[in-house]
Amino acid sequence: MSTYTPPLQDSTFVLDQLIGLDQLCQDLNLDEVNSDLAGVVIEEAGKLAADVLAPLNIVGDHNGPKVSDGKVLETAGFADAYQQFVENGWATLTGPEAFGGQALPNVLGTAVNEMWHSANMAFGLCPLLSQGSVEALIAHGSETLQQQYLPHLISGEWTGTMNLTEPNAGSDLAAVAAKAVRDGDHYKISGQKIFITWGDHQMASNIVHLVLARLPDAPAGVKGISLFVVPKFLLDEQGQPGDQNDVCCISLEHKLGIHGSPTCVMSFGDNGGATGYLVGEENKGLNYMFTMMNHARQSVGLQGLSISERAYQQALQYSQERFQGSNPDGSKAAIINHPDVRRMLMAMKSGNEAMRALALSAAADIDRAHHGDAESKKRVEFYTPIVKGWMTELSQELTSLNIQVHGGMGFIEETGAAQHYRDARILPIYEGTTGIQALDLIGRKTLFDKGAALTQLQTDIQATVELLNSAKNTELNALGSKLGKALSKSQAASQWLLENAASDKQLMGNVSVDNLMMMGYLTGGWLIAKSALLADQLSSEENNYGSPFLNAKVATADFFADHYLPRVGQHAETILSGLKSTFAIDIDLL
Amino acid sequence: MAILVIAEHDNRTLKGATLNTITAASQIGGDIHLLVAGNNCKGVAATAANIAGVSKVLLAEQSTYEHQLAENMAKLVLELGKDYSHIISPATSAGKNFMPRVAALLDVAQISDITAVISADTFERPIYAGNAVATVQSLDSIKVITVRSTGFDPAEENGSASIAEIGTAHDAGISTFVSEEVAESDRPELTAANIVISGGRGMGNGENFGLLENVADKLGAAVGASRAAVDAGFVPNDMQVGQTGKIVAPDLYIAVGISGAIQHLAGMKDSKIIVAINKDEEAPIFTVADYGLVADLFDVMPELQQKL
Amino acid sequence: MKILVAVKRVIDYNAKVRVKTDNTDVDLTNTKMAINPFCEIAVEEAVRLKESGTASETIAVSVGPKSCQEQIRTALALGMDRGIQIETEDSPESLSVAKLLAKVVAEEQPDLIIMGKQAIDSDNNQTGQMLAALSGIPQATFASEMKIEDGKAVVTREVDGGLQTVAIDLPAVVTTDLRLNEPRYASLPNIMKAKRKPLAVKTPDELGVEMKQHTKLLKVAPPAERQAGVMVNSIDELLEKLQSEAKVI
Repeated sequence: MSTYTPPLQDSTFVLDQLIGLDQLCQDLNLDEVNSDLAGVVIEEAGKLAADVLAPLNIVGDHNGPKVSDGKVLETAGFADAYQQFVENGWATLTGPEAFGGQALPNVLGTAVNEMWHSANMAFGLCPLLSQGSVEALIAHGSETLQQQYLPHLISGEWTGTMNLTEPNAGSDLAAVAAKAVRDGDHYKISGQKIFITWGDHQMASNIVHLVLARLPDAPAGVKGISLFVVPKFLLDEQGQPGDQNDVCCISLEHKLGIHGSPTCVMSFGDNGGATGYLVGEENKGLNYMFTMMNHARQSVGLQGLSISERAYQQALQYSQERFQGSNPDGSKAAIINHPDVRRMLMAMKSGNEAMRALALSAAADIDRAHHGDAESKKRVEFYTPIVKGWMTELSQELTSLNIQVHGGMGFIEETGAAQHYRDARILPIYEGTTGIQALDLIGRKTLFDKGAALTQLQTDIQATVELLNSAKNTELNALGSKLGKALSKSQAASQWLLENAASDKQLMGNVSVDNLMMMGYLTGGWLIAKSALLADQLSSEENNYGSPFLNAKVATADFFADHYLPRVGQHAETILSGLKSTFAIDIDLL
Repeated sequence: MAILVIAEHDNRTLKGATLNTITAASQIGGDIHLLVAGNNCKGVAATAANIAGVSKVLLAEQSTYEHQLAENMAKLVLELGKDYSHIISPATSAGKNFMPRVAALLDVAQISDITAVISADTFERPIYAGNAVATVQSLDSIKVITVRSTGFDPAEENGSASIAEIGTAHDAGISTFVSEEVAESDRPELTAANIVISGGRGMGNGENFGLLENVADKLGAAVGASRAAVDAGFVPNDMQVGQTGKIVAPDLYIAVGISGAIQHLAGMKDSKIIVAINKDEEAPIFTVADYGLVADLFDVMPELQQKL
Repeated sequence: MKILVAVKRVIDYNAKVRVKTDNTDVDLTNTKMAINPFCEIAVEEAVRLKESGTASETIAVSVGPKSCQEQIRTALALGMDRGIQIETEDSPESLSVAKLLAKVVAEEQPDLIIMGKQAIDSDNNQTGQMLAALSGIPQATFASEMKIEDGKAVVTREVDGGLQTVAIDLPAVVTTDLRLNEPRYASLPNIMKAKRKPLAVKTPDELGVEMKQHTKLLKVAPPAERQAGVMVNSIDELLEKLQSEAKVI
């Protein structure tokens, strides 16, 4: 079993230095929040993550939930852990004060969420889904629904789910067929939903399902979908869980990974219809889902970092304990001393630090956007598909490297290295596949505004390149030149896309994932270089980090620049080719 | 220069740690007086008089010393100790309890848990749970010291000291003994045990773990198992030592019929002393063992039990 | 009743201990620091006594440089009511710490002082006993269970042979052993509240304590390397080695 050590120092560095948490909190009028408080919050959450949730990770993998009599029994130990999570108030972190939340900034919530998912991603999905329900109700729920449900969801006493997918409606939600029929002040919901994460369990006294369904008279397609609250237990007059609603889990999926998380087939209305309450207005359900999309996609992108961090820590530990080959003095060598193993560890470390910088930067932009900052809103919309798409794709490579570091033992389930690799595999799929993210980035986020958000990002990167070039430290100058080179190659490809892709949907589709990955490596490389710049500035003053950490920041950025930034050029080259042969062969010859 | 050593005993027998402490005192050098404070403990004093290197035994018999309550013991040691250069006690739970009170009342430091004597005022002691060894010099006129018995050999018992009775009865009157409970003979928890004996697939079946349990009972050891033995269904999961089981670091770890997969080594490699017993001389466990014995466990475990 | 708990800032129990190459001390640069685990148990006990209505006020005190305020804040986040930092250099000696705490005890007049039995850095196991002696009050060290009854603390102590129960008059010092309780995790609402709890800073001068040096640290070395293993030929030889060489049985 691999232990988990919360990356307190790096998280704190990114929050305090790269994000400027103190300034951010002042801008958000959060008088009581500052970097000191954030440090304590991260440290204490980290203890629960490392001591309570992390040891249950492998337990969930080996002993997944079971369904019996329509009830899902979660992995033993999860309920106690969830209770501790709730009692210690962690579910309330970013919730609004009016409903019992602590109203802490999203960026701090993101740093904390990283640890939950590193410790136990299957477990972390439960509060993640609740958070999504909270946001939906805050944004679109009636005052009654908010009063009834939000305090319990924010406290964590009840959990939430998202019921979107149906057997024939996956990425294409226009095909949603679940039915909703008006019945007085509520609706009767019927139909089957699949892939419902944490759709049932016994850890909380109620479960609040948010369900997409179609009214009988609704227009066809995506414009005829409405969103409903369907509680597992109907609320009694005191607002407490009472009678069982007409909803149950009929089976659990057998999955490649995240075994600890019950993935349910949910059946609504087997006995006449489940009672549901409309969220917002009829037929606007899909819009409501989209307003939550930014956050949900960011959360999944963050999981890419979390699982990669856990995998990295395991590889780092193993490589120091495993002896193969000899040192020059004849003593046995820990494999960490072999250059290729060290290369893999650095690839993981630098990848993770770039992802952390991006995830937290995007999270801070969400805070600013919520506070009305239009520029931040544009930036975070641009970041979202990159966070979701690039980070989860990179997590495939990094969790695989952990297995490689383990050698043969990595292929053996006993080490637990394989679990992280299997768990990671869902990430580029759920909440919109990489293909969907790539189309979002190239279409709605790039071509639609004629490259305005993209140009702003390029300008910011150019500013960092110039600062690096003019720094006194020659290592930073070299970093500046590498980042500058990657930037200009990507600019050429982006420019070509703006000129050619808008009018050619097939071209756009062919190279969309290359564009996504190109922008990912470029943005990650930029933020890690910016971190190096800040670390270098800090090292000449009194600081809390110490020179080994700050020097490591610069070296890690340098490794990223040599190992990953050349990929920007490769993807740019592919984009410029237009991948013309994609459809060159008839299907029957494929 | 004379040294006052405080004897560890239970009013009936003198405890072995006293002998190691006398050795430490001898290494410091000087006349050694041994205080036996208790109740109805003349027998202990008589034994103590036999310890080589002790020139005088001070016997303080009072009901207030019977349970060595720190408040009363400190007053007694303080009164007697003023004229000594060193006041030394074994670092047992009794010594650790009253000695710092003595030091504080003398306005001197206590050098705790010494494992080596460098000179009359300089000592070695483990810090950071044994991850480092500090060499500490006392600047005080009276040195108050507790001694870790594993750092010193026991003194011989061929001496003949005089016994002097001490009459004063100290009673601080602020603490009373209520009861005591001698530890049950049940085996200790795996992770808390000083000695762990673990079996692997080589045990053959669950019943054969009885061989280990018999030895464990003699040693006060906990019984563990390798993943292979757990997977084979010999013993329950909570006995598993290894990366996916419990991590242990006892003073003595005895691996019986365990080949030594990396997974298992990760769970016990920090043990102070590792003993491996395996009939396969190529077993990787031997590369980490301090002492290895190539033998059939079914022959040697009964022998070990018998000889302990 | 009023409870005073002393907490010490030490290396995190998970962190690796590195000895400085010049053998002057342990290298703590950029090492993760935390509340001493035994002190955390002391904090937990105090908070439980407050929750059960036995205690009315709980105070966390720490001796050390400003950085030890972090551990006081942690204690406050775990539920202690207020904090006191006594500002000193790094690693003051136990006797000096006991003298400073004795002055705080004289000022605050707590009914009970709960401390860890030892700190996991210096492993001295003495400050609580010294404080009790200097304050002229009784002690119960290595507590695995405690009750407050009729103005006394009835404490079960983990001693070498098993368990010993003593009754001590209050005020008294109790030092904690591992099995006394299982410390909780700080809750988010308590972390938020802790920011607003008072934390006073005092100096040895203000308390009238002279920080005298009683010991000198001459050297810190890593423990002896593991000897290369040897093969033995019989159980007799094995037992002989374990008894006389390894001295583990």
